[in-house]
Amino acid sequence: MAETYVVDSDVGFINALAGLGAEDLKKCYQCATCSVACPISPDTRPFPRKEMIAASWGLKDKIVGNADIWLCHNCGDCSTLCPRGAKPGDALAAMREYTIMDYAKPKALYKAVSDPKKLPALLAVPAVIFLVLGLVLKLFGVNWLNFAPGAEEFWQADFINNYLVDIIMVPTFMWSVAVFALGLKRFVADMHANALAEGKTSREKIDPAGFFQALLRVVPVIFKHEKFNDCSENRERSTAHMMVLFGFIGLFIVTTCFFIADWVFHIDGPYTQLNPVKWLANVSGLALIIGSLLLIKNRYAKKDQLSRYWDWYLVGLVLALGLTGMLSQMSRLAGLAGLCYTLYFIHLMFVWTLFAYTPFSKLAHLVYRTTALAYNEYAGRQ
Amino acid sequence: MDKKYGVYICTGCGIGDALDAQALCGVAEEKGLPAKTHAFLCSKDGVELLKKDIAAGTNTLVIGACSRRVNYDTFSFEGCIVDRVNLREQVVWSHPRSEFPALTDEQKDDGVHFDRLQMLAEDYLKMGLARVEKVDLPQPFKVESLSRKILVIGGGMTGMSAALDAANAGYPVTIVEKEDVLGGHARQWRAQLPLGDPYDRLAPPLVDAKIKAVMSHPNIVVKTETVVARIAGEPGEFVVTLKKPGEKIEFDVPYPLPDEMKLDEKGNELDAEAQHKKYMEYNEGKTDILTFDPNGELFGAVILAAGWRPYEPDEGEFERFGFGKLPDVVSNVQFEEIAKKGKIVRPSDGREAKSVVFVQSPGGGDDADFAYAGAVTSLVSLKQAKYVRSDFPEAKAYVFYQHMRTPGLSENFYKRIQQDPGIFLSKGEVVSVSQNGGGLVVEADNTLLGEKIRVHADMVVLATGMVPVTKDDPVINLAYRQGPGFRDNALFDDYADSNFICFPYETQRTGIYAAGGIRRAMTVEESMEDAAGAALKAIQCLESVNRGVSVHPRSGDMTFPDFFFQRCVQCKRCTEECPFGALDDDERGTPKPNPTRCRRCGTCMGACPERIIGFADYNIDSIGSMVKAVGVPSEDDYEEPPLRILGLVCENDAYPALDMVGLNRQSYSAEVRFIPVRCLGSVNVIWIKDALSQGMDGVFLLGCKHGDDYQCHFVKGSELADTRMRKIGEALSSLALEEERVAQFQVAIDDYDKLPKIINDFVEVIEGLGPNPFKGF
Repeated sequence: MAETYVVDSDVGFINALAGLGAEDLKKCYQCATCSVACPISPDTRPFPRKEMIAASWGLKDKIVGNADIWLCHNCGDCSTLCPRGAKPGDALAAMREYTIMDYAKPKALYKAVSDPKKLPALLAVPAVIFLVLGLVLKLFGVNWLNFAPGAEEFWQADFINNYLVDIIMVPTFMWSVAVFALGLKRFVADMHANALAEGKTSREKIDPAGFFQALLRVVPVIFKHEKFNDCSENRERSTAHMMVLFGFIGLFIVTTCFFIADWVFHIDGPYTQLNPVKWLANVSGLALIIGSLLLIKNRYAKKDQLSRYWDWYLVGLVLALGLTGMLSQMSRLAGLAGLCYTLYFIHLMFVWTLFAYTPFSKLAHLVYRTTALAYNEYAGRQ
Repeated sequence: MDKKYGVYICTGCGIGDALDAQALCGVAEEKGLPAKTHAFLCSKDGVELLKKDIAAGTNTLVIGACSRRVNYDTFSFEGCIVDRVNLREQVVWSHPRSEFPALTDEQKDDGVHFDRLQMLAEDYLKMGLARVEKVDLPQPFKVESLSRKILVIGGGMTGMSAALDAANAGYPVTIVEKEDVLGGHARQWRAQLPLGDPYDRLAPPLVDAKIKAVMSHPNIVVKTETVVARIAGEPGEFVVTLKKPGEKIEFDVPYPLPDEMKLDEKGNELDAEAQHKKYMEYNEGKTDILTFDPNGELFGAVILAAGWRPYEPDEGEFERFGFGKLPDVVSNVQFEEIAKKGKIVRPSDGREAKSVVFVQSPGGGDDADFAYAGAVTSLVSLKQAKYVRSDFPEAKAYVFYQHMRTPGLSENFYKRIQQDPGIFLSKGEVVSVSQNGGGLVVEADNTLLGEKIRVHADMVVLATGMVPVTKDDPVINLAYRQGPGFRDNALFDDYADSNFICFPYETQRTGIYAAGGIRRAMTVEESMEDAAGAALKAIQCLESVNRGVSVHPRSGDMTFPDFFFQRCVQCKRCTEECPFGALDDDERGTPKPNPTRCRRCGTCMGACPERIIGFADYNIDSIGSMVKAVGVPSEDDYEEPPLRILGLVCENDAYPALDMVGLNRQSYSAEVRFIPVRCLGSVNVIWIKDALSQGMDGVFLLGCKHGDDYQCHFVKGSELADTRMRKIGEALSSLALEEERVAQFQVAIDDYDKLPKIINDFVEVIEGLGPNPFKGF
């Protein structure tokens, strides 16, 4: 604090934020109503007042790598109460998007993900991969892509073999993990530098074990949506968000179980509906569908909050995943083979999209917010 | 005039319920004057009654009814003297019968009991009757050769606007401008602050259009490279001598002799003639103020629009900003000149200035803005920040302020500027500016960023203030005995302002109206509005002088001070004390009145030890007679006679406040008798002596606040009264009277709720002192 901060305003940063929904950012006149209104802002060095001035002064280094912007759960209280209409809630959302963009490499992918015109191309990528890889493997006699699957006693793997799915999905997942890992390395270092500069932590260095323990302490908080629920405005959103989160977790468990069943125990599907894993799968799928529908409904209802393609992309994708998955299963049970295969193919495209583009989409908040919350827990920020 | 009296008592509004109206009529009838009562005197029927009597010859009316501050028009009759006895607000409404009971039949004339309220009313009626006996109808004073021409000093935006406004209203105008062209500072500007709805964007400068309009106006004469050598005479016929700047002529204005030169070697004050001789030596080569320039041009009124000059810092004053040393640290005026020439480039090397820091406050631990700043410099910084941004799309402009003042709708401009992505505003103190390689580094503390910060800049602009030119020079050069400029400008940070919130444009000199930057730092938009105000005031002056009435604040008052010169002892007090410099004494010290300079406050009347100054309807005798009309009961009348206290009340603020006490039905002692005075400055100590010598127990003055934040309508009146009252204390003690018997209280017009306590407390003090020993003599 004793050192003098050198201001290096970046007009481009301000314009970029404006393009991400913070066009009213500069209206802020620093009354700090937002910081007072915010139910989850810490007592010392509260946000978002300081983020508002830093952003409107174009001080990128005070925003990207600022853990505080991830403490916000966008309830919108600040925007509602802001006397100048500067919409701090939308501004913070824009700052988070900018952060995701900043840490995601390659940048071109972020640009594609955030551009509705590129959506068909993005969805075409997995289709091409599946078809090309499937056909290439066919040349080598590996018949994992069957264009004439049976219609009696069938399941989706007759059409696209699970091995084909897995050899594509697993590396894709790993790619995302790698992209995240690279981003997180910088993100954590930046967060710590920012916290030191702004006097938000007393810890000098990050000790990995301590950080991991903090992460473990934060996970139940995230699962219980405690912070989320602190914003009274958020109750409805919180339930929907929880359904989606647990839907994903449930499906992740289901996928892992069947992955092991397939690769280790070589138990072929389709699995009976009496299988408890299958119960979990159906409940999770339903949670995903209902949760995402609720999120969409809330977004439509909330007129004072900005909803951009960035937001619709994610909820849309979740709904599409849930619906294609569930409908594919239902059409299988109904014996509608053609429909079932088609839906399954689409479903796989969406799954791949989810995996591959996560670091470049709003879903990246899953990683960044969790890390930021863990960091704040570690830094002792109350 | 032969006075034919008529006394009228209104019994409406509760007067008749509380008072014995017949007994009141008896007071008049005792003096042989006809008296009538009416239940509703301000009604059509009541006024008809008055008009019928007036038609039958009555010309001096004493109306016992409501305060003279209400129904003013109803009871105003052409050619008649009217006195309004305030029976309503200051008698019955402020003294309820519940507190001041009427006498029972047994109590009447028992030598013990008396009816305080009836006594109060009867005293006021007697005072009214005494007054009308002593006053006359005023005759207007007319100047010999009235000029309807208006002189505008200064050809900048304000002066040109004022000239156009006055000329468009049909008055011939002459503009004098010391430069060789019109336009003033406005010629140096790239753009102007917002001029109209929606007040959020810069406007192209208006100056060229204004110059064109002025030059082509048939009613306007423009004299460039001209200044005022002196303005002699008085409103309506100012004799003005003009000259080229820098010229020395005999009609240059002489300056008053400094106080130390008025003394002889022994330190005694020189007599008038010796002083005059010294004064002429002191002003060698110049004629006395009473010698009028035979070639002088006549003007009726003057608008002072001489404007401002950029602030010039003392040596090293802005050292922390490197001002004067670092070529790229400039003032806002210098920056505007750079901006006017084209894209903004650094003075040092001509490189484009793409990061500019604007500094609003001199810092140094104080949060004050630069001297002479006002809201204008805030707005100008925003304007200039916008220049930077519009010259280079990637440019950055930082504004550090202690106060961002964007009054009124200019808030819209502020908001729009704030929205510019490349303009950064923060409260904060700029600590230092230093050279760093090819650029500057600005260090600021206590910013909204919550820490000490450093900004790299190509240029730094200091928002220095606008100094009124009257700080350096009187400019108007009035050939007045009190001196060529306005007095007390130091009270207003050297601005030629009047500090009358209610009286903008007024200066301390009647007929001279200030507008624009000379009055306070203002924008062009404000200056143009100001110019219209001053033009209207100048016109008001002409149209009042024309009819022989006072301009302001006693607008329409036809009286003026009349001097009985045979008894003048040349003490010069009137000349010196007049707040408006209306009097010029000659070489012997005899005052020469200039009635149209006068504001009719009566300060001269209060000052005169010989009591030779008076007005037709307000003079030593009229008020003195009112004082003497107050009944002062002694022990011969009652076992325990009531006290009698005189209150001399300023009619501008204190009197209406007293009326409000009644209006709010608050009560106070019935022992006090009020006499309204034009200003406490007009109170002559003889009235106080009269009151005490006839046995009244105390006297107090109720008037406006004085001092630096004075509220006196006549600037100096209450302050002068305060000085005089302090001196009277000594005189009282020589009479073996306690000094506490005379006091002065300050009230504002909204202080009505405090008045009962002030009055009652004073009565209590007098009760403590006991009755006046002179009572009954």
